[in-house]
Amino acid sequence: MSDSRRRSKGSQEETAGTSNGLGGRNRSERACDMGDEDDTGAGPSAISDEDDDPTRRREIRSKYRDLINQVQQNREDMLNPANNKLTDVLEEANKLFANVRQAREAALDAQLLVLATDLGKEKASQLHAEGSAFDPSAFAEHLLSFMGLNRLEDESGQDGNLEGYLPQSAWQRLAKRSEYCFKTAPSFHYILGSFLAEPPPPRQRVERQRKAPSKEAKRMMPTQLKKMEESNQEATEREVERILGCLQKYFADDPEEPISYYEFVIDPNSFSRTVENIFHMSFLIRDGLVKMNLDKYGLPCIAPVEEGEVELGGAAVRNQCVISINQKSWREIIEAFDIKGAMIPPPEVLSQ
Amino acid sequence: MSQRKRAVPASQSKTKRRSQVSLDEDDEDANFSQITSSQVQRARENFTSDQIDRKVAEVVQFILIKDQKKIPIRRADIGKHVIKEYKAIYIEIMNRVCRKFDQVFGLKLVEIDPKNHIYILINKLEPIHGEPVSMRPGNPKTGLLFVILSVIFMKGGVIKENLVWNTLKKLRVDPGEKHEEFGDVKKVVTDEFVRQKYLEYVKIPHTEPVEYEFRWGLRAEKEVSKLKLLKFVGELFDQDPQSWTQQFREASATETSSQRS
Repeated sequence: MSDSRRRSKGSQEETAGTSNGLGGRNRSERACDMGDEDDTGAGPSAISDEDDDPTRRREIRSKYRDLINQVQQNREDMLNPANNKLTDVLEEANKLFANVRQAREAALDAQLLVLATDLGKEKASQLHAEGSAFDPSAFAEHLLSFMGLNRLEDESGQDGNLEGYLPQSAWQRLAKRSEYCFKTAPSFHYILGSFLAEPPPPRQRVERQRKAPSKEAKRMMPTQLKKMEESNQEATEREVERILGCLQKYFADDPEEPISYYEFVIDPNSFSRTVENIFHMSFLIRDGLVKMNLDKYGLPCIAPVEEGEVELGGAAVRNQCVISINQKSWREIIEAFDIKGAMIPPPEVLSQ
Repeated sequence: MSQRKRAVPASQSKTKRRSQVSLDEDDEDANFSQITSSQVQRARENFTSDQIDRKVAEVVQFILIKDQKKIPIRRADIGKHVIKEYKAIYIEIMNRVCRKFDQVFGLKLVEIDPKNHIYILINKLEPIHGEPVSMRPGNPKTGLLFVILSVIFMKGGVIKENLVWNTLKKLRVDPGEKHEEFGDVKKVVTDEFVRQKYLEYVKIPHTEPVEYEFRWGLRAEKEVSKLKLLKFVGELFDQDPQSWTQQFREASATETSSQRS
């Protein structure tokens, strides 16, 4: 019922009707029946063709979308009371609407209208306010300057968005100045803190955890200590004796052949044991149990001292030297002397 | 027809729920409003002045601690946790509490919501320009709050949330990203500031998708000086604050009325 009422009204008003697409075909039939006329005078079939022309409709929709974009992207510009861009857009839209026949285009028109009225309201509120308008973007710019924004002077003239370096203290600075606008009551805090019992619970947990492993550790301790006590001074002495034994054995095999010092102390498999061997050798030499001399090539050789050969603690001439070795030299010596195996067998590994 | 049938029960249940909630709150609060003068008399006789003094001190301490987070304090909470059996003479206690705050601390206990009986503490002393407000370093959130309150005020008192987010974005504060100083900005603005009653974040009816608008909260109305805010805005723009005639009028009016109270 309402449809026909609308249609009769429509025919009296503009031809840019609000009829919907479905009515297109039927309308031509009913128009003849009811005798309502379209003012265009063209035959009903011609109008319905025009109405349905997809290219035309697409064009209209695209123009509407352009207008909508224009309004959305240039909002600030449109708001400017100095120009009439908003009115221009509305006039364009009016022209477009003259060709709108179907709901889809009309919907776009409605969307544009919503945006335009929103802007219109905004513009109107600017006019109503006597005195200056307030522009939040300008406000932001002034705030950035206040906060100490360091605007870099590069020439990538892109609209100052996010250019420049904002110092760390920026918000602090603003806060300090803004505080004056507030009557905030200072927050109450105990100067030396309160007696809240937060620390104790974690401590208990830690204690319990520590107690468990310590029991095991105690059980371990006796066995460890026994071995530890061995490996102190006694261990060194035993090791020194063992090395002397080795040396004497080698010498016993071939009493005339002096043994190269380096060949003796170096363990090609372990740098640390090499150092230990040197360390232990030094005791033997200090105590006069082993003598060292340079052979015809200038390389140090060692030999065990015969009993009675040298008086222990006697007034014999004593020489001192410091021997050092690093991993590089160690490897060089191994290569130079072609040392394949350790002459001093490694001590039994202490199980700890 | 069927629609109307549905509508009635729905609204009925809503009002029922609403009254239920207020009843629950009032349950704790109701004790305050139904006190007879004979109850007051009896209470005064029952408690020694020392006991009442101590009660007053307890309320003062309770409020000071509650104020740390700047979340407004409900009278019901004061009653439930501190005043308890002294509720008959709570008026006398609260009067003395206010006087203590005023004379000892220089603070004002203000009821920002007379209907729901919610209080805040504000400073009685006005900050003097040129003198530091506090020895502590400024809280950056104050700056953030200032920006939002200014925009709302200068734009007439109500703004769509998008205006806030867009302005903040220009200040390198993006609600979608985690900010170095503020963290979850959206949460700070729409949750923390709202709970502290600095801001109101209200749904605009009939919007799809849902849109919100921002207004000044009840705390801001009492705690923030619109005139001082306008003056600072004027400094930033290098403009006379009176050039914003409407805002200046409103700011001056609020200032004089708050001075009277």
